[in-house]
Amino acid sequence: MHEFFLVKDLIRKITSLAHEQGASRVTGVIVKLGALSHISPDHFREHFIHASLGTVAEGARLNIEVLTDVTDPQSQEVLLENIEIYLAT
Amino acid sequence: MKNKTIKVDYLARVEGEGALYVKIKDNSLTDVKLKIFEPPRFFEAFLQGRNYSEAPDITARICGICPIAYQMSAVHAMEDAFGVTVDGQLRALRRLIYCGEWIESHALHVYMLHAPDFLGYTDAIQMAKDHPALVQRGLQLKKAGNEIVAFLGGREIHPINVRVGGFYKVPAKRELEPLAERLKWARDAALETVRWTATLDFPDFEQDYEFVALCHPGEYPFNEGRLVSNKGLDISVRDYDDSFVEEHVPYSNALHSIIKGRGAYFVGPLARYNLNFNRLSPMTQEAAHSAGLSYVCNNPFQSIIVRSVEILYACDEALRIIDQYERPDKPSVQVQPRAGTGYGCTEAPRGILYHRYSTDDNGVIIDAKIVPPTSQNQKTIENDLWQFIPKYLDLPSEKLTLQCEQAIRNYDPCISCATHFLKLYVNRE
Ligand SMILES: [Zn+2]
Repeated sequence: MHEFFLVKDLIRKITSLAHEQGASRVTGVIVKLGALSHISPDHFREHFIHASLGTVAEGARLNIEVLTDVTDPQSQEVLLENIEIYLAT
Repeated sequence: MKNKTIKVDYLARVEGEGALYVKIKDNSLTDVKLKIFEPPRFFEAFLQGRNYSEAPDITARICGICPIAYQMSAVHAMEDAFGVTVDGQLRALRRLIYCGEWIESHALHVYMLHAPDFLGYTDAIQMAKDHPALVQRGLQLKKAGNEIVAFLGGREIHPINVRVGGFYKVPAKRELEPLAERLKWARDAALETVRWTATLDFPDFEQDYEFVALCHPGEYPFNEGRLVSNKGLDISVRDYDDSFVEEHVPYSNALHSIIKGRGAYFVGPLARYNLNFNRLSPMTQEAAHSAGLSYVCNNPFQSIIVRSVEILYACDEALRIIDQYERPDKPSVQVQPRAGTGYGCTEAPRGILYHRYSTDDNGVIIDAKIVPPTSQNQKTIENDLWQFIPKYLDLPSEKLTLQCEQAIRNYDPCISCATHFLKLYVNRE
């Protein structure tokens, strides 16, 4: 359930960013998973695919980088690095 | 038309998982309310109209830390409804995958969540700076559990190989060999873990709890047994709803589970240990004694030792199962759905997890009830806080939060996967 809410929060952020930019679609998402975030890339991907259905991020290419430094101040976090949007202008 | 990349740098947050409201008037504690967000309601509704065979995979998604427990309670409940018995090597493999989940979940809790509390760190990252070897041992131990689950479950987190009646695929004996090698290392590391946790400082805190756990005649409990307590409860899982009720509490969307006519009870490692000590393997019993534990433990802060003892047991038991394993002829027994109600209760890492399903003739789910361990412990956690907080009333809010977090963390609530899950609201008058 932890991951469910985490990914939901992420989708919310992505949606509002896309909206701000006037984008109709998000084509790519890059996230970083901290070494102590206790979420595997597969697990994250699966939740992302479910949670993005019907949102601007549906079908977005998902790039996941797994960090290994346990002492990194953000090693328990899931970090949204950047998004790629499609502007229909 | 163009693509544009936007740099973001945003940390994903888990919102609204846990909140503790504490009221202090004239320097005495007047109210404690713990709010925990509870997901199964949503899943119970979602299960209606789905086929029985989907229940293990749907409920596994409730929690990324204990998916096996959800699957096991679901398959047992369905098998109960359809009159199916799974035994022999298939039953043993179910114990094996459960061992994996205990190792994984307990190692995460002991090393990454609970230990920092005892050693005075705000989180595992801070702890890793001073104790890198310790954190690495925790991660490796967790990984050993992961490997069992991934191997038998088909993948790491939401396993897909478990089905009503058994498995989709079962391994050949030689395929288990690498796992055994890894588990021998894990068993040594678990023994070290027991020794190390025994050296931590424990607040002097014991209460007169009613402990509830499964009890099986010959085994430390995973999947089966009667529901027993240290205060006279002794019922079959089918009778769960006669003895346990969930009460609505006005301040929370979660329900408080109580024993009818008695009140709060305590589930999880401490309950299992206290009710099943003599069913632990000999080396595990010995390790517990060397760690200074008696066969009963009433201090919830010492749950970190008991949890480590259970990691050791799970490694030992997994090795025993692998040693005696022979590939069964078929990966599952035949299942013929029928109309009825089935009951399942298994020992999730954090305590008993109860499932009840009613199905129609075709095995379509018409009703589902799921009671997770965290909601069963919620009232006991609140009771602990009533006893525990008064000693720390003078602390500034930040320090008081840490104390409360530690006391709540004794129960390893599922929400504890969020490091700073607790929002503390102190109202001083
Ligand atoms: Zn869980």
